[in-house]
Amino acid sequence: MAAIGAPGARSAQPPALRGFEHLQRFWEPDTERWTTKILPGEYYVTCHDEAITTVLGSCVSACVRDPLRGVGGMNHFMLPADAASPRGPWVDPAVGLATRYGSYAMESLINDLMKLGAARQRLEFKLFGGGRVLTSMTDVGARNIDFIHSFIEIEGYKIAAQDVGGTQPRKIVYFPAAGRVKVRRLRAIENRSIADREQIYLESLGKQADGGEVELFA
Amino acid sequence: MARILAVDDSAAMRQMVGITLTGAGHEVYQAADGREALQIAERERFDLVITDVNMPVMDGLTLVRHLRNMPSYRGVPLLVLTTEATTEKKLEGKAAGATGWLVKPFNPDRLLATVAKVLS
Repeated sequence: MAAIGAPGARSAQPPALRGFEHLQRFWEPDTERWTTKILPGEYYVTCHDEAITTVLGSCVSACVRDPLRGVGGMNHFMLPADAASPRGPWVDPAVGLATRYGSYAMESLINDLMKLGAARQRLEFKLFGGGRVLTSMTDVGARNIDFIHSFIEIEGYKIAAQDVGGTQPRKIVYFPAAGRVKVRRLRAIENRSIADREQIYLESLGKQADGGEVELFA
Repeated sequence: MARILAVDDSAAMRQMVGITLTGAGHEVYQAADGREALQIAERERFDLVITDVNMPVMDGLTLVRHLRNMPSYRGVPLLVLTTEATTEKKLEGKAAGATGWLVKPFNPDRLLATVAKVLS
């Protein structure tokens, strides 16, 4: 191992916060950062100078941080398909399964940042993904982008930067301490495996997305 | 139909809970944090309060404790609707005086069924 402080020296791995210990983390020599890789449905938050990476097809990621407090995080999600609703006349698309799950994915990330001391009014949002990676599919990427834009608007947040839509998948690396994001467009040949993984995620979402448990304290 | 106070710092969440409850005929007031909720609760009467946990200014469990100390809310059901799903947190909610605990993402049918149950 190189001496501490030398170029490329591997720093000590910052401890993962409670609840994030299961995520895959590795030392990335190119960026000289400990890097956490997140998969569809996962998110990660940190108060250290490290990196978070993911590969997005039609899924979207929000990179969110409080620059003053020095905390940031990233999620990776897509909306579940809304089945025709059996619920009756009061049903409104604003409370459909897709919107409820998307809001939950965003709130989980934002809540954890706030627990680390982030303030709502200082949050900086950068949005990525939502590509149309397979022509045979309906444009689920566009649906994910529409959702995240409307969420940001309803909540009164501002978008600091975004790279969404298009037809290519993206690999993104987020550095929350600096607020910087590296985006690399991937070649179409890699689309299939990315789309397959997203499809598996989408199917697994079905039940899980439709509501958590209820407990009454009698 | 009941008068309900819905408390959440997320405007998207308040909107969804509001639409769900008003759609079922309830009258819904909204607050964005615990302190605002307390102010509204002091001047209005509610049959039920539904609150998030993690909020700026005053969190939901502190709100529940305050409401339980107010004579007019001693017997009013107080439901928690949150992303928090740990047993530890739920026990904290129970000790604070919450009536029940619903984990997000919320299911509208289950929310309405729970509301009907605690109001009966």
